[in-house]
Amino acid sequence: MAFYQAGDSRVHRLNPVTKLVFALVLIIAAFAINVVWWPAVLWLVLLPAVAASGVFRPFMSRTLRYFIPFIALIFLAQGLFYPEGGPVLFHLGPLSVKVNGLLFAAQTALRLLVLIDAFLFLLLTTHPGLLMSALTERGMPPNISYVVSATLQIIPTFRARAQGILQAQRARGLDTGGGGPIRRTRSLVPLVAPLVLGSLTDVEERAVAMEARAFGAPGRRTSLAEIPDSAAQKAARWLMWAFAAATLVANALGVVS
Amino acid sequence: MISTAVTGRRIPPWTYTVLGTAVILATYLYLLIDRPSSLAEGGQGSSAALIALGGYLVGSVLVVAGATAKLPPSTVAMMPVAIAINVVIGQLVNVLGLPLFLDSIGTVIVGVLAGSAAGAATGTLANIIWGLTISPASLPFAVAAAAIGALAGLFARAGAFRRLWTALPAGLLTGVVAGMISAPIAAFVFGGAGASAGRTALNATFQAFGNSLLGATTLSGLISDPLDKLVSFGIAFVILAALPARFRERSPFVRKYAVFGRRKAVLEAGGS
Repeated sequence: MAFYQAGDSRVHRLNPVTKLVFALVLIIAAFAINVVWWPAVLWLVLLPAVAASGVFRPFMSRTLRYFIPFIALIFLAQGLFYPEGGPVLFHLGPLSVKVNGLLFAAQTALRLLVLIDAFLFLLLTTHPGLLMSALTERGMPPNISYVVSATLQIIPTFRARAQGILQAQRARGLDTGGGGPIRRTRSLVPLVAPLVLGSLTDVEERAVAMEARAFGAPGRRTSLAEIPDSAAQKAARWLMWAFAAATLVANALGVVS
Repeated sequence: MISTAVTGRRIPPWTYTVLGTAVILATYLYLLIDRPSSLAEGGQGSSAALIALGGYLVGSVLVVAGATAKLPPSTVAMMPVAIAINVVIGQLVNVLGLPLFLDSIGTVIVGVLAGSAAGAATGTLANIIWGLTISPASLPFAVAAAAIGALAGLFARAGAFRRLWTALPAGLLTGVVAGMISAPIAAFVFGGAGASAGRTALNATFQAFGNSLLGATTLSGLISDPLDKLVSFGIAFVILAALPARFRERSPFVRKYAVFGRRKAVLEAGGS
């Protein structure tokens, strides 16, 4: 379900925070510099890191799955219907293809490529639980870490429960196949009601168990597993933040546009 | 750094929430009033996407930091279940081929049972989980999810969840806000091309009628979001009504603001 691909490459062993900073800095840089081809350069920076972590194939297949429809849609929408003026490239019947529309579509598509692929790289090489522990070590409230980790564990059991209910109701003659939207909505009720009510009433027990284990107690916890970090990674994070700050300054001063 | 320590804190958590909300509203108003041009033409106007992403991110982080600081364990225990409800129903609706998302029912339930702060935190975290497991493209829209949870809490506090005919308009209004607040992200970050072909076609149609990029995404948001949230609020109302009263009335928020109305004692106690 999640994106994580188990592996033992050097990228996998990096501190999750380093990879998170890498992803955030790439995204800031992609959106800060207003040059159409600039995000493509950042994407090419990302590729060797992906190749080094051994997740190149899932990375490319997911990228293609997200981007082929998106690129088609944005070039159709903005190439033909770009709302602002500007030189017209050629006419297609009543529609006109504008240069600015195509430039805008290219820039948006490339920026989004960096936005999604930077996160994809982080998620493919980092277990979500490890990312949460690393962030909690750095002062994120343990509440957030609990909610994210617990949800990732609950969803599979939840889905199994939903499947079980679906099969039970079908066995009793519930038709979940054809019909119009109203009939399909009505068929949702006998599925959703037992699922939701059952799992919400389970919450009580869990809350009692958490309270008994001092969940809401104040103070900072120590961590069972230390997440390895190195001086080199720390320096690298500072350098990356400095780079992001530089692109933001360049944007504010209008140096590159 | 943020910690859950209640003692010795100099800044109360609600200041983070207020500050975060102010940042989000300021970002939206700036993008709305300044109407930055969408293309790289120099000047500060060209950084609309950066401002939309940055302002919403900073605002959501502040809201979540303030909201999660003092949540009781019973609310925290409810949040993973609510998020799982969002994800599983959202995907089920997808499989059944309905023209709605319905991916915020759990967020609404937490907002009603535990208040605005818990609702906003649930919405944001649900969005992050959706990004971690299904599609990273949903992450920039976290702020709309937070708004849905926060508004569900506010409407519940005002008593909108006592009857179905007040819960449904509340959903409609929430959808209007959600559609408007996510419009700058859809316009400047995604260039008007949503995940679905239908939404993109809607945007392109509005652009063809002479709307700006932000205008077009706002209008298509106003067409699809209110209906979706109306149905979501309706379903959440039905689920909440079906929950045992013992479970609902357990939350201090529900009792304090009489979210489901005042309950009469079943037995008349003699002499009181």
